[in-house]
Amino acid sequence: MKRLFVHAGYLLVCILFILPLWWALASSLRPLEDIFKYVSPFSWKAFVPDKPTFTAYVTIFAEKGFGTAVLNSIFVAGATVLLGLIVNGLAGYVFAVLRFPGRNILFFVIVLTFLVPFEAIAIPLYTVVRSVGWLDTYQGLIGPGVANGIVIFLFRQFFAQIPRELAESARLDGASWLRILFRIYLPLSKPVVISAALLIFLFQWESFLWPLIATRSENLKVIQVALAGFEERYVTLWNELFAAAIIAALIPLIILLPLQRFYVQGVTAAATKD
Amino acid sequence: MWKSSAQTAYALLLPALVALAIFRLYPIAATIWGSLCTESFEKAGASVFAGVSNYADLFTDPVFWGSIWVTIKLNLVINPLQIALALGLALMANQGFPGIGFYRLLFFVPIGVSVPIASILWRTMFDPNAGLINSLLSILKIPSQPFLISQEQALWCIVAIATWKGISFWMIFLWAGLQDIPPQVLEAAEIDGANRFQRFLFVTLPLLRRPLLFVLVTDTATNFLLFVPMFLLTGGGPAGSTNVLMFEAYKSGFVYGEMGRALAIVVVLLLLVVAVVALQFRLLRRPEGER
Repeated sequence: MKRLFVHAGYLLVCILFILPLWWALASSLRPLEDIFKYVSPFSWKAFVPDKPTFTAYVTIFAEKGFGTAVLNSIFVAGATVLLGLIVNGLAGYVFAVLRFPGRNILFFVIVLTFLVPFEAIAIPLYTVVRSVGWLDTYQGLIGPGVANGIVIFLFRQFFAQIPRELAESARLDGASWLRILFRIYLPLSKPVVISAALLIFLFQWESFLWPLIATRSENLKVIQVALAGFEERYVTLWNELFAAAIIAALIPLIILLPLQRFYVQGVTAAATKD
Repeated sequence: MWKSSAQTAYALLLPALVALAIFRLYPIAATIWGSLCTESFEKAGASVFAGVSNYADLFTDPVFWGSIWVTIKLNLVINPLQIALALGLALMANQGFPGIGFYRLLFFVPIGVSVPIASILWRTMFDPNAGLINSLLSILKIPSQPFLISQEQALWCIVAIATWKGISFWMIFLWAGLQDIPPQVLEAAEIDGANRFQRFLFVTLPLLRRPLLFVLVTDTATNFLLFVPMFLLTGGGPAGSTNVLMFEAYKSGFVYGEMGRALAIVVVLLLLVVAVVALQFRLLRRPEGER
């Protein structure tokens, strides 16, 4: 009996989480004229399409160029993840393992930068990117997302847990710091690499304001901007809007859900250690 | 290979430092400088130093004070709300019983939904005429609510949307913190006769201080800058009721072309965030004498 209540409680929370997506999924499989048919007066059919059709999905890819936006986002997010893992991973390693003058002050500045999100500095960032000629290019979308204070922090906290004696004895044997990184630290780092990669991926996948102001061309449009555009321009085409939203939510979920366990392990040190 | 650790350190840090200097530190400096400048009358597109005049104008502008109030009101509610719910969710995720894996999977779902998508989905649900929420309310015989088009309700609808989207993400850090608590500590408290609630209050919560501080600080910084729902759903309205500072800055800069004013607002906003975060550190810092 008690177990039944527990499951009911968990189910209720899950329903609250799933409801908007479920409703979007059901609506995306409906012909346009039926979208609000069962909402008011309400019927359970609002959540189950009676004659499912994939027309909306076919249309957004075949006619509305949504495929380009999906590929753009995958490319931009993927490139940022690759570069970001190298740049932030190296920095996190240096802060965790090496001793050098200026270490504390540099780390403090880097941690401070993650209190200042992209949106806040979008205006001067626009000027910077314009002056290097990166407006309306892939570099302009990728570059500003690579170095990330919170990812550096994540790596630093994880590496700092690994006993430093390992590195020191390798040093005595004449190994370089880079060799120590690749031979000792990297093989132990699967969780933090996964967490960092997912954080960077989500950050780029979700970015909206920056791509909106930094790109103009149709063929550079990323997924969030394309989606918001759907709403403005095709204001009544709800089924297509919902289909696009489902695709945009599904791709990160497919990547995220199987890696859930590592993701939690990877952030543990960042959340719990001083 | 390299002579000293210091040289290696600087060499390996170089890419991160250069990128942060160009894409973060310089824009922050440019924001501060630009907030002290104004559009030149002689040369179009050029700007001239104007001292604190942008700030002086701001501080006498009722629209700005309205935005400050909306921003503070939003944050006073949304940060405690999100952290309490994320903690509850983390406690739920941390239980072990058959089938928990399925629930944990679903707890993660909103992480894949971006703020723009969450905004668009919830807008259709909040629609006063054809929205799902009103039709569910009508089953309970509750009259139709205006939601996003109401001066009283719009801000709280945005709080609901951002909370739905946000708590899964913050849950991860608190769940990680819960898993880091040695089970022996909780068992010892149980043997000493502490009930469930006492164990949570006197054992779990103090041991979660670090992850809670981490989440509090990052969540606060995120929510002070929240503006996509306002951008997509309300345009700061109705009657300025959702016109947070970040949206007012966006409008000033990109809609009205008043860059000096926009940057001055951003500087005020960042100072506000730094002040609040510093206060949170003072309040939640490790008590004297511990570890």
